Amino acid sequence: MKYFLYWGCSLEGTGANFLVSLKPACEALGMEFEEIEDWNCCGASVSYAGANDLAIKVLNARNLAIAEAEANYDIVAPCSSCYIQMIKVNHEIQEDPELLKQVNECLAEGGLSYKGGIKVRHIQDVLYNDVGVDKIKAKVSKPLNGLKVAGYVGCQSVRPYGEYDSVNRPVVQDRLLEALGAEAVPFPTKIRCCGSGIFLPEIDYCMGLVKDILEDALNHGAELISTVCPMCAMNLEMYQGRINEAYGTDFDVPIVYLTQLMAVAFGMDLKKDAALNYNVIPPEGILKAAIG
Amino acid sequence: MENMVNYNPSFAEEVFRDVDSGDEIKMCMNCGVCAGSCPLREHMDYPPRQIFSLIRAGKREEVLSSKSIMLCTSCYACVVKCPRDIPVMDVMHGLGHYALKQGYVPRKDTANFGKEFWNQVYKLGRIDEKDLPRRVFFAGGFIAGIKAMLNFMDIGLKLMLHRRMKLLPERKIKGVKSLQKMLDKAEGLGKGGAAA
Repeated sequence: MKYFLYWGCSLEGTGANFLVSLKPACEALGMEFEEIEDWNCCGASVSYAGANDLAIKVLNARNLAIAEAEANYDIVAPCSSCYIQMIKVNHEIQEDPELLKQVNECLAEGGLSYKGGIKVRHIQDVLYNDVGVDKIKAKVSKPLNGLKVAGYVGCQSVRPYGEYDSVNRPVVQDRLLEALGAEAVPFPTKIRCCGSGIFLPEIDYCMGLVKDILEDALNHGAELISTVCPMCAMNLEMYQGRINEAYGTDFDVPIVYLTQLMAVAFGMDLKKDAALNYNVIPPEGILKAAIG
Repeated sequence: MENMVNYNPSFAEEVFRDVDSGDEIKMCMNCGVCAGSCPLREHMDYPPRQIFSLIRAGKREEVLSSKSIMLCTSCYACVVKCPRDIPVMDVMHGLGHYALKQGYVPRKDTANFGKEFWNQVYKLGRIDEKDLPRRVFFAGGFIAGIKAMLNFMDIGLKLMLHRRMKLLPERKIKGVKSLQKMLDKAEGLGKGGAAA
């Protein structure tokens, strides 16, 4: 199972615990990764302020074209923004051959061309559909023993295309959590947006979104919240102090990546592989208690 | 007859022609599901449905200066819910882009953030996560910049202590020059309107 891994800018910085844990956890399941040569940023969701739509598409098509010329692997994009930006170009050129022509006219300026043959996949998709729940279960040596986890899906990892999961009632993350031995608690705001890329410039408006999500997860019994997106992780974890000041709440709930939980349940090193020391709100205590 | 409103189609035509995804609003039946699904609707002066109506009514000033068009978190809830399959989010982004090009500033901080984001993508091919907020903070002047920096210092420090901040400046990708040529071409070839 070979893939291109397009980890993007955030996973080298604020989302480093995602990448550090993803590699050993997925490689233990037989996945092999290759980097896209000289990849560029996906533009995320705020680039529209500086660029027109075609420029943002061409930006993403450059990565796709480089990958397509290199090998016939699917691209795995763990960051939901990277994922959606790339998959969007693919969808739109399929519907509109004229757009593909325009994109290629631009790519030609740098000696590239894209046929549209590369598949872009989310990490949850690959884990669920290529690896499968059974294989993941078989790898678990330290099950999470019913630890109550709220699997926060957010937005761009399933919307709008719903390639591998329902856009209205996603279940894939919950099934993966259950494979690790956790109890996935249902909570209605699991598909509500956290403010994503505009959290920082619109913090006064977006804190309320995160407050609702944290409250909902905790009210449904969660001891831990898991995510598969570096923006979700950042917004849910790093602003809890600010939210407590603004709303008089007392949130102090760890936010972990699904891949960190995988590394823990696979019996890997809690620091080197699960990268738990990267979390600002420490999840070690809860996880150590769960795996016993 | 005194209740008759004279609709002026010229702005709608401008939107259809010059705004990315602008022609998609022709399909809008004003049901309001987009507004109902939007996480930041309560902070908007006009929810998307009303923005579309204002465009049809020729209210150029109101639309291009409305903060709503830059309050999109890009969560795709409206895109999934729209019964007419309008990519509402894309329309809002298109309007935000167009408004800035025309000299309007619907939302100052988000506009600065987005512009700086794109500047970095263009200059480096990547994002420097520590440089980006600094530039945004100081976009409003030196004093405001210092205040904003101090305000977010605790979060920056925590990230740094937990190895979630690259300490070295982000380097340019190798193909940055050729990337810029591609992007320049796209800027000329695509929609989005010329600067006013």
